[in-house]
Amino acid sequence: MSAREEILRRLRATGEAEAPLPEIRAPIRITGDPVQLFLERAAAVGADVVRITSGGLAERVVRDLRRRGVQAVAVWEDPVLASVQSALRAEGVEILLPQDQTSTRVTRADAGVTTADYAIAETGTLVLTCSPLRPRSTSLLPPLHVAVLSRDRILPTLEHLFTDLHVLPSALTFITGPSRTADIELTPVQGVHGPVSIQVYVLG
Amino acid sequence: MKERIDFARNAEAALRNPFLQSALRTAMVRFRSLRDAVVEEVPEWQVLREYAYATKMHVLANLDRYLTRLEANVAAAGGVVHWVRSGDEAASTIVDLARRHKAQTIVKSKSMTTEEIELNRFLHAAGVQVAETDLGEYLIQLAGERPAHFVVPAVHKSKGSIAALLSEKLGIPRFDDAAQLTRAVRGELRQRFFAADMGVSGVNFAIADTGTIVIVENEGNARLTTTLPRVHVALMGIEKVIPRLADLAVFLTLLPRSATGQRMTGYVSFITGPRRAGEVDGPEEFHLIIMDNGRSSIHADRAMRECLACIRCGACLNSCPVFERTGGHAYGSVYSGPIGAVLTPLYRGLDVGRDLPFASSLCGACEEVCPVKIGLPRLLLELRSRIVRRRGASWMDRLFVRGWVATMMNPTRLRAAGRVVRILHHLALRQRVPLPYPFSEWSKARDLPPPAGPPFRDRWRS
Repeated sequence: MSAREEILRRLRATGEAEAPLPEIRAPIRITGDPVQLFLERAAAVGADVVRITSGGLAERVVRDLRRRGVQAVAVWEDPVLASVQSALRAEGVEILLPQDQTSTRVTRADAGVTTADYAIAETGTLVLTCSPLRPRSTSLLPPLHVAVLSRDRILPTLEHLFTDLHVLPSALTFITGPSRTADIELTPVQGVHGPVSIQVYVLG
Repeated sequence: MKERIDFARNAEAALRNPFLQSALRTAMVRFRSLRDAVVEEVPEWQVLREYAYATKMHVLANLDRYLTRLEANVAAAGGVVHWVRSGDEAASTIVDLARRHKAQTIVKSKSMTTEEIELNRFLHAAGVQVAETDLGEYLIQLAGERPAHFVVPAVHKSKGSIAALLSEKLGIPRFDDAAQLTRAVRGELRQRFFAADMGVSGVNFAIADTGTIVIVENEGNARLTTTLPRVHVALMGIEKVIPRLADLAVFLTLLPRSATGQRMTGYVSFITGPRRAGEVDGPEEFHLIIMDNGRSSIHADRAMRECLACIRCGACLNSCPVFERTGGHAYGSVYSGPIGAVLTPLYRGLDVGRDLPFASSLCGACEEVCPVKIGLPRLLLELRSRIVRRRGASWMDRLFVRGWVATMMNPTRLRAAGRVVRILHHLALRQRVPLPYPFSEWSKARDLPPPAGPPFRDRWRS
């Protein structure tokens, strides 16, 4: 008998129908403005969060990245980022487009610029999906992750997200602050294997 | 290894280690206060625990159905599913995959299940290099030790000893700063990630409806492990499956808050099959290994089944007054604390783990904090009674219980016994004189509480 058959037979032998599956919980509204809560909670986990109009985005990103000495960026292909991409190019910043973003190349970029499909206010979390135009490494390998999202993508809680989300890409990622550890004498350290810093721009 | 895990001897070693004592105390106090703060802000916490318990018990009652649904959906997403009966079968499946892909080096993200089956030993024997990539696990691997805690595996190591270890193994200066030490490891492991041919991860949750595995972490090493190498192999116990994507709204509220006192961990990865057409990164192959390794026997054991609901958050460890003093190593297994005292005797045998269910004061703190509401004290008591039934009680226990019953059932004897105890206390026990043998067996690890004053009925009379 194969391992599969044997395991399933052992489980079936004791299977019974009681113990009903609970109904999925309807989202409970949280009090207060989710955008404001997201700004607070994301800052609390160490993200730099800025609220800005979409007209001012490109200029602000260029200024912030120049201040950080960024010379090469990996960028997702997305209409929201079009103005950012051309402004950076005009500044002489080297741009890596998705089709060129093999992991070995992305790791040499100083920053990765992405959008976010959703954000969760309660936890200060960004939700990113991947696709050919949205590589996974962009938000993972460079020391700085820059994320841009419009305010209507901010949902109050996890329950709202899972009510909204049905089709999954090959990789969906929750990002809550920069990568971190406390494995050495519980001392919090920012920037272990993933980005050391995260800069979030909320549009509108 | 069929030898009994000698908890008392292990605990004694831990109690004699002053660094361990202060490190554990600090860590447990910190974890408890962080947890309490973020649990308090969720008003429906108790409702969520009920939901999680009911969901897990439903899945366990229908486990064959959910596992085959998971299998079908992983395959539909382009993944390959392997079923294995034992840890040895799991390890040889991974070794075979490594051979087939000519993998020289493997990177691993933190996984208790791979610790359970001692995967690294198998890989080493097969000539495959493997690097742990979670910072704590990496330090443990370099030092040739075993994890001391579910969430902070290197909690027993001082910064000084870590600096010395890294200096010796990596040839770096002995940094005094946790951030500098962390950066040094980041640099070293980045190279390993890029060189690795295969990534091995655990699984926190596997969603039957979508064929998705979910991995919860803080450092980003699990993301790298599941993104950079050509092949990703994930190992899960059969109990990790949950029905629906939406169930995660509950489980991802419970797990990080219970484990580290975070509202959400740094990263949560939802992986559905290998990379798809046109994508530039992600593994080309995705393998999911579904492992039994003793779980189906626990599943068949109705009185014990609910321990399979555990989501490995470590909250029961952090709340346990015994664990706080002994640390994880005393439990002689990767699974420590109250849940370990239940799992180890079930996985490795009642004879091997027979000390562990007794390593508890049954105070109930573990059940109170358990995010999936596992009735740990009840499970510990059930194991105790099985162990006693199997091995028989010692003559001393029997004598004591017989004497106790005889005294408690008779008012005259009870009154007399009370008087004797008070007199003895006046004479000697007040100075905490150790009790004479055989009572010293009981008193050497416990303080005898002073008897209460004269009983009410005596005071009433005078």
